[in-house]
Amino acid sequence: MSELLNENFHVEKTPLFDFHNQMNAKLVSFGGYYLPINYTPGIIAEHNHTRSSASIFDVSHMGQIEINGPFIMEAMEKILPISFSKILPGKIKYTQFLNNEGKIIDDLMIHRTHNENSVWLVVNAACKEKDINHLRENLNKNFNINIRDDLSLIALQGPKSELALLKLVPGIVGIEFMSSCWVSYKNYEILISRCGYTGEDGFEISVPNKHVISFTQKLLENSDVKLAGLGARDSLRLEAGLCLYGHDIDLKSSPIEAGLKWSICKDRINSADFIGGDFIKDEFRKGPSRVLIGLLPKGRAPAREGTLIYDSNDNLIGEVTSGGFSPTLSIPISMGYIKSSAIDQKEVYLDVRGKKIPSDKVNLPFVPHNYFKKVN
Amino acid sequence: MTEIFYTKDHEWIKVNGIEGVVGITPYASEQLGDIVFVELPQKGISFEQGKDVAVIESVKAASEIYSPASGEIIETNALLEENPEIINDDPLNAGWLYKIKIMNKEDLKNLMNEEDYNKLIGV
Repeated sequence: MSELLNENFHVEKTPLFDFHNQMNAKLVSFGGYYLPINYTPGIIAEHNHTRSSASIFDVSHMGQIEINGPFIMEAMEKILPISFSKILPGKIKYTQFLNNEGKIIDDLMIHRTHNENSVWLVVNAACKEKDINHLRENLNKNFNINIRDDLSLIALQGPKSELALLKLVPGIVGIEFMSSCWVSYKNYEILISRCGYTGEDGFEISVPNKHVISFTQKLLENSDVKLAGLGARDSLRLEAGLCLYGHDIDLKSSPIEAGLKWSICKDRINSADFIGGDFIKDEFRKGPSRVLIGLLPKGRAPAREGTLIYDSNDNLIGEVTSGGFSPTLSIPISMGYIKSSAIDQKEVYLDVRGKKIPSDKVNLPFVPHNYFKKVN
Repeated sequence: MTEIFYTKDHEWIKVNGIEGVVGITPYASEQLGDIVFVELPQKGISFEQGKDVAVIESVKAASEIYSPASGEIIETNALLEENPEIINDDPLNAGWLYKIKIMNKEDLKNLMNEEDYNKLIGV
């Protein structure tokens, strides 16, 4: 009984909670929220539907944060390794909060808005609190940090996402990948961001809490659109080679090790004038001591998080950080760190329940990205 | 005559004489979701009742299978190697895992009949 009470205290419900139950979702607690792991069709069916059509995911557990104040972009550049001069208004950039040692506090999306005194962030659910603390510590008190928990967030992902969304909001035709805009729908405003976490084209849509169920139902009236849960979200992002915070990246890993060098603005590496900058500059010059790679274990046994990686001489060279079964490729896939000194080894061995499974090293992603490219 | 018994860990064993066929229940199959890999024991090896004898991996996670009775493995379901999803499709029949020569039929007294098992899973 006391356990039950504890659960009720610590696990929150998203505004779609009742709707998920109505839709026969199997709910689990994730990042402090009850969320669907899958609905009736199951993880593989939901995964495949996303790759071929379009799926809706409830990602309202993510933190949506608006920060307002004069010169907010200059202030954020002291915290993040990005350059707003290289980001047009309305564009979104993937980046990371780093600590003084250049290790990752959280990864996030930041929007340069059309208002020069305002930025918009989307952060991981489980990191919300430490992110807010990090922001408060490093922004002066003139900036207003506004947690937008009045908004739910749903992700519409898959090649048929744009067609499905256009039926509701025709005005967003041709919106570029990694850009966002506020649009009116019925009598309320929604924020549409063309981005996602599946490797497919798609959108994340911020909808006022009291309208999110009706908005989701409206999207579901289209027979191409179905619901999908966290299980499919995880297998989709793994196939797309995208890092999951708390697994592939955390306070022990740097963006250089994690293959996220591309997300750091080159000019900022030299000047190193952001939190963790000296470490990033140093690691960039020397090269990281370990690197995140893709692994294809031979056979059918998935090599999951925590699986140890060995070289052909039985030396321990690393560890799997995410692993599972790829519904698209019908084979097991894993991501993990190996020592940089072992990077030239052609084949490595994964210790699955005492058996050493030979595995090929491959570049990420496992399944090519299918992001929207604007044709002029 | 074949009798069926159940464990609290959601395995079943169909017993005919001293031979038993082992699998997982429809309830377990549904809880696990899409099954993508099965690691079965080798023929000729003996296991004690309650010892982990096989592994079933779903998309979500790996789960251990505990032997419902002590005995020697006499056959495994070779079809599962390439098509583990058979367990989801037909957990009580085509999705069987292995056959065992039961060492001591007294073991079966520790197991549940269908009625008690259904109570356990709330059917």
